[in-house]
Amino acid sequence: MSGLSIGGSQIDASWFLILAAILFIIGTAGVLVRRNPLVILICIELMLNAANLTLVVFSLQLHNLEGQLFALMSMTVAAAEAVVGLAILVDIFHVRDVEDIDELSEMKG
Amino acid sequence: MAVAGAIGVVAFREPIRSVLSLVLVMLALAVLFLLLSAQFVFVVQIIVYAGAVMVLFLFVIALFGPTRELARTRLRFQSWLSALFVLAFLGLVWTMVQGIKYRQPDQGTDLSVFGTVQSIAVGLFTTYLYPFELTSILLLVAAIGAIYLSRKKIDDL
Repeated sequence: MSGLSIGGSQIDASWFLILAAILFIIGTAGVLVRRNPLVILICIELMLNAANLTLVVFSLQLHNLEGQLFALMSMTVAAAEAVVGLAILVDIFHVRDVEDIDELSEMKG
Repeated sequence: MAVAGAIGVVAFREPIRSVLSLVLVMLALAVLFLLLSAQFVFVVQIIVYAGAVMVLFLFVIALFGPTRELARTRLRFQSWLSALFVLAFLGLVWTMVQGIKYRQPDQGTDLSVFGTVQSIAVGLFTTYLYPFELTSILLLVAAIGAIYLSRKKIDDL
């Protein structure tokens, strides 16, 4: 019913969704557990990639190109986010070394 | 392979190994995009992600040298809390995926040109021209912001 024809063989779309879910959850775990701000940005990239995978899977499932277009949009947003996040990190690293994201708590109210 | 790379992202202590594992994940996902007949997304994934964004991360790491993450002494409860959260989240998503009822695909789509550069471009420049222009403005703002953030330091020197 939900088979995607890929290279002549049918693959269930759920496998791709489960893979995307696992990647997203690993990214979430990374954001929660890791303390290095750089690694947290990397894990956010991982989560965005998992979301892109679901978009592309549903795009093929529904034979609708909008999913792929939206995946491209989210790649753009992810690139912009990475650039700004890394610029802020570089700015902070110039002032002092930060090895723990919890050291950056000056802005809390 | 993608899952192994993703575990590597989280598990390695040096950030540089996390980045290289993420490159592995990106490439595995790019192959999956190609399988899912998303050729243009595949090319963009390789060039923009595995190429540009990862090089950016590597530059930042190279700029500040390798820093090993210290063994965490405080906030032990946080790992337990996040493990609990992650398990609950996994169960939730798993149930959702099992319960999906797929709609029948739209008829009359020519799958031989699905996901090619031409079909992507037709969608991007006709129906979705306005969001496309908005992303260009977003990229411009991000570039200006990055330049501004790095320029301030040069003035201080």
